[in-house]
Amino acid sequence: MASRLLWASRAASYLRISAFHRGFSTVIKDLKYADTHEWVKVDGSSATIGITDHAQDHLGDVVYVELPEVGATVAQGKNFGAVESVKATSDVNSPVSGEVVEVNRELVGSPGLVNGSPYENGWIIKVKMSDTGELNSLMDSNRYSKFCEEEDAKH
Amino acid sequence: MVDIVDHYICFLFQLKIHHMRLQRSLGACKFGIINYFDALKLQERLASDRKSGKILDTILSLQHPPTYTLGKRRTDHNLLVSEADLKTMGAELHYTERGGDITFHGPRQAILYPIVSLRDIGCGARNYVEGLESVMIEVASFYGVNAHAGKTGETGVWVGDRKIGAIGVRISSGITSHGLAFNIDPDLSYFKHIVPCGIPDKGVTSLKRETEMELPPDEVIHEQLIHCFAKVFRFSDIQWKTQ
Repeated sequence: MASRLLWASRAASYLRISAFHRGFSTVIKDLKYADTHEWVKVDGSSATIGITDHAQDHLGDVVYVELPEVGATVAQGKNFGAVESVKATSDVNSPVSGEVVEVNRELVGSPGLVNGSPYENGWIIKVKMSDTGELNSLMDSNRYSKFCEEEDAKH
Repeated sequence: MVDIVDHYICFLFQLKIHHMRLQRSLGACKFGIINYFDALKLQERLASDRKSGKILDTILSLQHPPTYTLGKRRTDHNLLVSEADLKTMGAELHYTERGGDITFHGPRQAILYPIVSLRDIGCGARNYVEGLESVMIEVASFYGVNAHAGKTGETGVWVGDRKIGAIGVRISSGITSHGLAFNIDPDLSYFKHIVPCGIPDKGVTSLKRETEMELPPDEVIHEQLIHCFAKVFRFSDIQWKTQ
């Protein structure tokens, strides 16, 4: 089996394909996901939002998180803030619409929490949802896992 | 027993052939020296057009008049002179939404602003930026200059501990803007008025300083950068437009 894997990785590098790319990022079962790689954890009409393990892996080390103000309005699919890594700022989009009720101030001093704990301590904002029906347009964990595999297979 | 690895290899090979069949063109727009604000407005328009699918992936090639720019973090503590002094020098100052720290742009520094869809080129932010670094490293090598990427956290391209190329990117709705700045032979004294990219101990340099070869006209180097970009990001062809 080992020599077979060696042959496989040699063939892959000849074809210039990343054969064993870390395509199997962590996906948490009960969360919902947007196709721009944000997750949302729902608790009644309250939503906690962050970026996924797949997203943080593709970004690199986060050095800065731009947070919205508490009280700001967010809209599904629209950006509410940004993260900076490797001299690139990337917009972060909200998976749901509503009002920002809390932002994770820990990220000001410790932006790396987004990399180290994307689903727990690296949460970014909490939103009071204006339309829970929007959740139906998001992916569940299985669909999101497949989505990531398809995206990573593209190169 | 099914040989999973054999099936996986066949699958990967089929994917590769499929990918090779996809033709991805790069539109390349060449400019002379254009004002930073005008270039920014152009990028915003192109990024919006790219997002709505009106245009293909596009790259702008240009130079700027003397201009200092700050990134989203607004690290203006790294500007060592006042804005009034900048005016006296004939330089502009712009605050931008790109990543990265303070930097200087000026004549004889090659600027590339790729407006591309990260999804279509199959990149995340990190490998896109690594690709931009490899573009500058390769072009430097054409002139016998041995450049390298920085250590983790020091994005950019270096010769020894002197910086020859800088990167600052914005990604919005999956479309890139801003890009790279490669020092051909700009007036390096302008860098004295900033802590370049917020890194105090390292100097800046240029291709002119590092090479022993005679340099061709800037336009040639701009074209080499564009060709390398197309190669690194696997575009099948370049469609040239001169402004």
